[in-house]
Amino acid sequence: MAEALILDSEALNALAFASDRAVLAKRASAILRLAHDKRALVRVPSAVLAEVCRGVRYDSAVNHLLNNPGIRVAELTRGAAQQAGHLLAKLKLSSAHAVDAFVVATALQFDTAVIATGDPDDIRRLAAPFRRIAIFAL
Amino acid sequence: MGQPAAKLSVSVPNELAVAVRKRVGARGLSGFVARAMAHELEREGLGALLQELEAKIGPPTKSDLARARKTWPKR
Repeated sequence: MAEALILDSEALNALAFASDRAVLAKRASAILRLAHDKRALVRVPSAVLAEVCRGVRYDSAVNHLLNNPGIRVAELTRGAAQQAGHLLAKLKLSSAHAVDAFVVATALQFDTAVIATGDPDDIRRLAAPFRRIAIFAL
Repeated sequence: MGQPAAKLSVSVPNELAVAVRKRVGARGLSGFVARAMAHELEREGLGALLQELEAKIGPPTKSDLARARKTWPKR
């Protein structure tokens, strides 16, 4: 499969509310531009939406972003969910980190992936065993 | 269940047709073309989004772009 850029909740929020979060949005747009140049796919793990969608007032900006054909939601498959559970178990992490684990499990569905994240420490721990995943901290 | 398929008739340079058939075979052609079309639409969408973001917040800084390049895995 191809290369991918995976957006976590902070990256998605930064892009959806770019005017209010200009510094983070500029950083996110830098990695987004590189994804475009590299012809990489851009994916948002569906579990991330649970962290970002907080009602109609907020959702419209998120939906505007997700209605762009360049950013697609990666559905949570049974295999990815089980893999996320295994990642948590390996590090003895609680389910409080489940969304981070889903993000890493989604990245593992591609040959190589970059995860754009506002929470690099936890994501880095979960992705540490996998050389094909790189982390871009916002 | 798969989505209903639409039949398209397209013309491409002969060399390209030969290279693609060699790569995926006659039976894999539809899937290959569908993936390529979907990918191109995604890429165009991303280009439009980058323009929209640039109009809102300006272009990414050189240092952020440099960091992004450094982060991206080498293939």
